[in-house]
Amino acid sequence: MMKILAYCRITNDSLLLNGTPDPVGPVQGAGTERLTAIYRAMELKYPKFHKMDNLSKAGFLASEMVLKSLSYDTETLDESTALVFANSSSSLDNDMRFQATLDKENYFPSPAVFVYTLPNIVTGEIAIRNKIHGETSFFIMKSFNAEKMHIFVECAFACKKITQVLCGWTEYLNGHCDVLVMMVRKDAAKGFDFNISNINKLYFDPYGTHDFRSEKADY
Amino acid sequence: MEHMILDLKKQIIEVLNLEDMTPEDIDDNAPLFVEGLGLDSIDALELIVLMEKQYSIKLEDPGKSKEIFRSIATMAQFIQENGTQ
Repeated sequence: MMKILAYCRITNDSLLLNGTPDPVGPVQGAGTERLTAIYRAMELKYPKFHKMDNLSKAGFLASEMVLKSLSYDTETLDESTALVFANSSSSLDNDMRFQATLDKENYFPSPAVFVYTLPNIVTGEIAIRNKIHGETSFFIMKSFNAEKMHIFVECAFACKKITQVLCGWTEYLNGHCDVLVMMVRKDAAKGFDFNISNINKLYFDPYGTHDFRSEKADY
Repeated sequence: MEHMILDLKKQIIEVLNLEDMTPEDIDDNAPLFVEGLGLDSIDALELIVLMEKQYSIKLEDPGKSKEIFRSIATMAQFIQENGTQ
């Protein structure tokens, strides 16, 4: 049975880790400023964070919280974890930033901005940070779709060596942040069922008003 | 030259998003790449853009870039000799 072991939800005004609101204390600001405030509140030491685009920053922070909550070993090469992410606006937020550097009157295309003009760079950032060498994929969909997310994760588990999948929705556009990252394990005894209903509950309850732990989860 | 070096450090911190660093943290003679600041190939491209944007310097000979970007001091020296700002 596939189980959700841990999850993190980040929106413009909520931060939820395994059902607990504000796990790093209250954070101020909006957009990039808020993401940086979360980074600082987590007391991370990863200077590359500041070079990332907003999409990567949001996905990176949520994955950090999920993996830390599971005491994930970031030092050992891991071929048994896959990454499956999706969103609707691709890398448009950063694409527009790059476009601004192509101004005819002030033409200085930025290489550092250009390298983030693909949405799947966020999976690369997470994989590099955590030495994850399993399959990675990034899908672009019209809107959040729990059914498809469930199918994508099932497909990832079709690969025999994959035992867990870090997956979710990482959307960031024009200061609007909408992220859900989950760790799903195959044949797990703990956690709560990875099914369409539960994925939707996690996504549509960014403030943690419903205590999932009282159902089947066991953190 | 001191003023030029300080300006350059501030510009590098800004364009490379070295948010946790101050000019005082950067040694004038420390290597910019691998050791020292630990910059990478994308950072190198940003430094080339910075030279062009801020100082109107176009690097014509890629073979010289290794020496020019060896440290803040070598960059500042090159800008002083070739820049127009």
